[in-house]
Amino acid sequence: MSEHMVPVTEGGGAPVAAGARAPFRRLVAVEARKLVDTRSGLILAALLVGLTVASVVARGVVVGPRALTVLGTAGIGLGTLLPVLGILTVTAEWTHHTALTTFALEPRRMRVLAAKCLPPLIAAVAASLLALLAAVLVTVIVAEVRHVPATWDISPLVLLGWTGANVLVVAEGLALGMLLMNAPAAIVVCVAGPVMWGIVARLGTSGEVLAGWLDLNATAAPLASADMTGGDLARLAVSVAFWIAAPTAAGLRRAVRREVT
Amino acid sequence: MIEFNHVSKVYKEVKALDDVSFTVGAGSVTAFLGPNGAGKSTALRILVGLSRATSGSATVFGRAYAELDGPAHRVGTMFAPNAYHPGRTGRESLTLGAMTLGLPRRRVDEVLDLVGLTHRESRRVVKGYSLGMRQRLGVAHALLGRPGVLVLDEPGNGLDPQGMRWMRGLLRGLADSGCAVLLSSHLLHEAEEVADRVVVVGRGRVLAQGTMDELNRGRTLEQTFFDLTAGADRSVA
Repeated sequence: MSEHMVPVTEGGGAPVAAGARAPFRRLVAVEARKLVDTRSGLILAALLVGLTVASVVARGVVVGPRALTVLGTAGIGLGTLLPVLGILTVTAEWTHHTALTTFALEPRRMRVLAAKCLPPLIAAVAASLLALLAAVLVTVIVAEVRHVPATWDISPLVLLGWTGANVLVVAEGLALGMLLMNAPAAIVVCVAGPVMWGIVARLGTSGEVLAGWLDLNATAAPLASADMTGGDLARLAVSVAFWIAAPTAAGLRRAVRREVT
Repeated sequence: MIEFNHVSKVYKEVKALDDVSFTVGAGSVTAFLGPNGAGKSTALRILVGLSRATSGSATVFGRAYAELDGPAHRVGTMFAPNAYHPGRTGRESLTLGAMTLGLPRRRVDEVLDLVGLTHRESRRVVKGYSLGMRQRLGVAHALLGRPGVLVLDEPGNGLDPQGMRWMRGLLRGLADSGCAVLLSSHLLHEAEEVADRVVVVGRGRVLAQGTMDELNRGRTLEQTFFDLTAGADRSVA
């Protein structure tokens, strides 16, 4: 460390031009950068890309050139890692006490949190497109190498629904992370959710009905098969309200009121 | 420039701050002095809106911090030395701040120079920083927006004698150029060296305030401090 005295050249109390508040897009850029400027962030991003590509390639080799089946495999990795990405994004500032600096720089906490949520949601879309690209390439190559006809069964609607489902799992992670402000707790809830609903669904008719309306993984499934009925839509809406909208609202309220220490 | 107006803060059962009033004017370094748990950090957090006063108000430039236009351009703040992500480099932490404030990247190099962190040190992750380096990083972050008011929570903690001399020179220079500096400290010697005004708190109350000479009246600050805070230490967690 250099110990020499540095001449002070600061400008004292010079007035700052009006309109110095950070525009929203600047906050989004800062929050996007925070996702990849630490080693742990980079590892998670690499894992997301690596697991997606690896699972698509492996499945393609095993089942042959069937595009939709190959693409669907990527959903397993994405379904696990994307909620974690969402959770870590919104809990990191509390874990690492960086909220002290972040909310001193921008006291409008609601804007910061909104800016924080956008990059992971965009990442879910990007990861879905990456999986699609990998699935198309694998399908073409496997068909070419094995001299068998490729099955192109990915309709635009299916792709849209599948991407939407991936966005929903990130949103669930963001919502639970914001509500609980604690990464391990939120991850446990995310992981335990499907197990719990499996048990609830076996608790007689009322349990089955409950799981049918509140198990987000189950209600989002028709999205990816593009055969959504009105009833499916209603069930999806209810589970999204329960797992995403409500915890997000409660979490935002908590963050805005919370004492930052 | 900084004004605390009858600020009280009550946690469930503890009164962390009790009717705290004082002002900090331009061109002065004011030390907020008191034993651990006297409510110093709480008061500074309330000033910046990280915590909410139960009653009373704290203002900077006559307004609540959050209502200022571009508050971090006008008020530089530094809180706990652990307020930086351990896995981020010092430079990256400053870059995020500069980005948020819409400042050019060269400002990062400028503040690094101001606090005496070398370029090599700035490229290391904060996890490996000594307490003194974290304090310098915190001060660098506070200086990013060329603020006219500085609020520093225990900036002298963990500084070696050279570091203290550097801090004194830096804060003196800032005050002389018109800045208002408010720093908290439980180190008497530090307050005596750096500040020209002192606000002494204990059990959440202001026990005395004034210039060093007014307060000491020929005694050492240490005598004054212990007289004032007798029985007032370790009051709240």
